Amino acid sequence: MVLQIEHLTKVYRRKVRANDGVSLDVAAGEVVGLLGHNGAGKTTLLNQVIGLSRPTSGSIAIDGTDVVTNPAHARRLCSMQPQSHAPLEGVTPRQVIEIVARLRGASRQRARQRTAELIAALQLEPWARTVGERLSGGIRRLTAFCLAAAEPGRVVMLDEPTNDVDPVRRRLLWQQVRALADAGSAVLLVTHGVAEAERVVDRLVILHHGRIVAEGTPAALRGSHDDQLRLELQAVSEEAAAALRPPSGTPAVTGRRVLVTIDAHEAAAAIDWAGRERTAGTIEEFSINPASLEDVYIGLLGDEKGDQKEVDHVA
Amino acid sequence: MLRSYGLLVRWTLLRLRSALLLLVFLQTLISVGIVVGFSFLVPQVDPTTALYLSTGSMTIGLITVGMVAAPQMVAQQKMSGTFDHQRALPVPRLAMLAADASVWIVLALPGMFAALAVAALRFDLSFTVSPLVVPAILLVALTSVAIGYGLAYAAKPEVAGLVTQLILFMALMFAPINFPAQRLPHWVAEVHEWLPFVYMAQSIRETLDVPSGGVALLPFAVLAAWGVVGLAVTYRVMARRN
Repeated sequence: MVLQIEHLTKVYRRKVRANDGVSLDVAAGEVVGLLGHNGAGKTTLLNQVIGLSRPTSGSIAIDGTDVVTNPAHARRLCSMQPQSHAPLEGVTPRQVIEIVARLRGASRQRARQRTAELIAALQLEPWARTVGERLSGGIRRLTAFCLAAAEPGRVVMLDEPTNDVDPVRRRLLWQQVRALADAGSAVLLVTHGVAEAERVVDRLVILHHGRIVAEGTPAALRGSHDDQLRLELQAVSEEAAAALRPPSGTPAVTGRRVLVTIDAHEAAAAIDWAGRERTAGTIEEFSINPASLEDVYIGLLGDEKGDQKEVDHVA
Repeated sequence: MLRSYGLLVRWTLLRLRSALLLLVFLQTLISVGIVVGFSFLVPQVDPTTALYLSTGSMTIGLITVGMVAAPQMVAQQKMSGTFDHQRALPVPRLAMLAADASVWIVLALPGMFAALAVAALRFDLSFTVSPLVVPAILLVALTSVAIGYGLAYAAKPEVAGLVTQLILFMALMFAPINFPAQRLPHWVAEVHEWLPFVYMAQSIRETLDVPSGGVALLPFAVLAAWGVVGLAVTYRVMARRN
């Protein structure tokens, strides 16, 4: 294991338990996705690994070396794309990627070569010579990714790397994330794009209120929901959405969108019910699909109001 | 360490590139402005006043860069999140500080010498310069940057912004930089014995025009102490893990 986190607990001053007994391993060549609501403790976890914040208890080791007592070591062994803005003021993507690669120990030639590779792979050529202030949010985010990826550490940590990025470059970005792992790094990835993450990660860890509530491969996580379907409804208004009472399952309401996870044998009854609702004019449309990872996630963590259900560990 | 330093200097220069000319220009304007402007306030410029004004303007120039411009830049970086980004890089903290400080010091030089040249012409001064002037300028600049950084790193960005304004105002009007300490009320002069301003002014003044008793070394010691305090605070905040 490259990254080993054991019983990590972080309690902030106002007694907020941002991480609560988190244990997590990431091997070389592995991409582990970290999912969870805002405030679930994902960023706190990354900050402790790279030594920006100090754990209250527990241990973190990279390649067997304790990094809690030696944060400088952590910075050498990890590269991170934080959620915050990358320092791009006054510099072009090409310049800053090269400088950071060299600061991370690459030779001038290797820095130049990796910079060119990444710029080409993410189709950033049109902006390679544009100063940071004039770049759009998505291009800035991609440049920030390159800063972490140009001379990657043994552990690469990416905090929501796809935010603001267009769909085409998102795919290219996922390919590069995969390439980092294939080249031998242990990749820890924070994301809200549950469906997208499914394609690139080897394992998923779901954090809720600082604790791991589920972990496993995407297939294993979905496994317990294999006989389940997702009923998705688009109500005519938010009030109508909140008032919907499906014959089975608990509705998760997001604005006018309502998601219900139902068992396969309840499908016929659900379609009948949804048909009646549409005739009555409370919903505009509905669909039924096999349950996706997003449904599993929402099922585990509840909807945006933060409803929490008891969950079993899926190994 | 040296490698990081070189790369960081390059990065800082690129970052400041757009503001660089403006900063040098403003800083020159302030330094030269003090020489010219203050001499309007004092109708009869005697040799002492002239010496204080011309060397004081250099000190103010260094204070403007180190204790006003530099901390404001840091405050801006803290607000934009750049600070955390850089803290996560495998770079010695000291190299980061040294790189920034060198850029700021170099940036302060043109204005300083412009002010000195203008003063020499305006007041028809001739100096007996000591070789200690080089370490004096470096020490004042370093101490200034160290205190400015300590302030910017320790205080909230909004607070740091206000305090830097206050520092500039105080250095201009209420610190014995452009005039002898005897002209200040007694208690103010006493307070200044504990602050760095008077020592900054004295070290530069005495090395540019050596008094009959020779260059006093106390200011160098006091400035070094202030510099160490500033660096220690900065280093602590940089290395802190919350």
